Amino acid sequence: MRDNGGRARVILALLLLTAFTLVTLDYRSGGGGPLRRIGNAVFGPIENAAAAVAEPIGSFFSSLGHLSSYKHDNDKLRKQVQDLRQQLRLTDAERAHLASMEKLLHLDQTAQFRVVAARITAVGSSLGFESTATIDIGSNSGIQPDQTVINGDGLVGKTLSVGPNTSTVLLGSDVNFHAGARIEGSEEIGHVDGGGRRPMTFTLLDSQGDIQVGSRLVTFGDIGNRPFVPEVPIGHVTSVQPANGALTRSAVVAPYVRFSTVDIVGVVVATPHPPKRDSLLPPKPTPTPSSPSTPATPAASVTTTPTTKTH
Amino acid sequence: MRRLVLAVAAILTALLLQVDVVNRLHLPGGHPDLVLLVVVSLALVGGPAYGAVAGFAAGFAADILPPADHTIGRLAFVYALVGYGAGMLEDAEERSVFAAVAVVALSSVASVLIFAGVGALLGDARISASVVGHALAAAVIYDVVLAPFIVPLVSGAARRAEPVTTY
Repeated sequence: MRDNGGRARVILALLLLTAFTLVTLDYRSGGGGPLRRIGNAVFGPIENAAAAVAEPIGSFFSSLGHLSSYKHDNDKLRKQVQDLRQQLRLTDAERAHLASMEKLLHLDQTAQFRVVAARITAVGSSLGFESTATIDIGSNSGIQPDQTVINGDGLVGKTLSVGPNTSTVLLGSDVNFHAGARIEGSEEIGHVDGGGRRPMTFTLLDSQGDIQVGSRLVTFGDIGNRPFVPEVPIGHVTSVQPANGALTRSAVVAPYVRFSTVDIVGVVVATPHPPKRDSLLPPKPTPTPSSPSTPATPAASVTTTPTTKTH
Repeated sequence: MRRLVLAVAAILTALLLQVDVVNRLHLPGGHPDLVLLVVVSLALVGGPAYGAVAGFAAGFAADILPPADHTIGRLAFVYALVGYGAGMLEDAEERSVFAAVAVVALSSVASVLIFAGVGALLGDARISASVVGHALAAAVIYDVVLAPFIVPLVSGAARRAEPVTTY
């Protein structure tokens, strides 16, 4: 037993050296090495299978905390379904009217993103501060790194690394998440940054620009629409820092997407027609004495291509 | 040989449970570290060398398991050290469950601090004092709560998997 102490120390030193070498190599390569792809390829299918098994268990445990609110939500939803059914009848008629107008005026339709639907199977890591998620589609479905990930509410994040059947998504709540953003209805641009545990912030590049509580933000697309396509709703401003002579101005943003509960997402793989400005935001809520309510799901027309997963 | 199979199975199960179930529960404040618990359990039975190797392997797997996004090798480094340290306190869990829980608490604090320290050296923007403080508190509490269940389970299985050789 006495001799094992020395042997153990040598083994530990070798292992720490190896780990240090790995860290150096990965750090210098900027995180784009082959190991992540191998991890995606090897662990991806196992994660998908495990998620399929674990999903009912996980949702059982998380539902335990919400049982009392479920009944209340249930009743609320029943009423909403009734109201929506009524609204649909009106909207169909409006849409027909608009379609004939469009034919007359040859207007472009509202954005038709080519989106591949996916489901989130895993989140985060065992010891780490990153806000990332794994989705169950990969390069076999046409996914590439640096593509926009959205859901019905707005911007979820962007793809980081891609394996054959899974991909890693950087969520909007991660500290390293940055996206160009534009204030609805104006030319004011800036960037939103995730805050980790802190709220998302928006930095307006023109400190004299017009920004107020309730301003709604959409993505300001990148060159080639990678990683971000334009016009995706991000969130609305909840507080603005006073202008104090700095070059930029900061605001706190409440994102439309609830990153802790996001489950079904879509990856934008192509934008055949550029969407019209501000066309994906829902109609502005009518001003009430209380603070502006969060909008319902935006009325974007999104064509989803069927996933090309092979079973 | 059987202990090797058991160790691999335990580490893989902990990894998958961690990212597929535990992290998605969005528990308040933070989350437990199942991989740490398994590494500590194995180290308490196998000794410092065994603990270091198990920690390294588990850490490396955790580094490349999607959707991890930190520099590869950081968790390998952390868990190798923690596995070695826990292994030095070999057989603590045979004395009492309380001793095992104390080892887990120490390992939890050490793992978060070492991980944050390496991250700060690498310029990881996700590391900040408040984030580390939160993570420390949450990790210790959750790991200590789970320790009395997981440590006896994994350590007991590891012990039974191979006869004890006394020198």
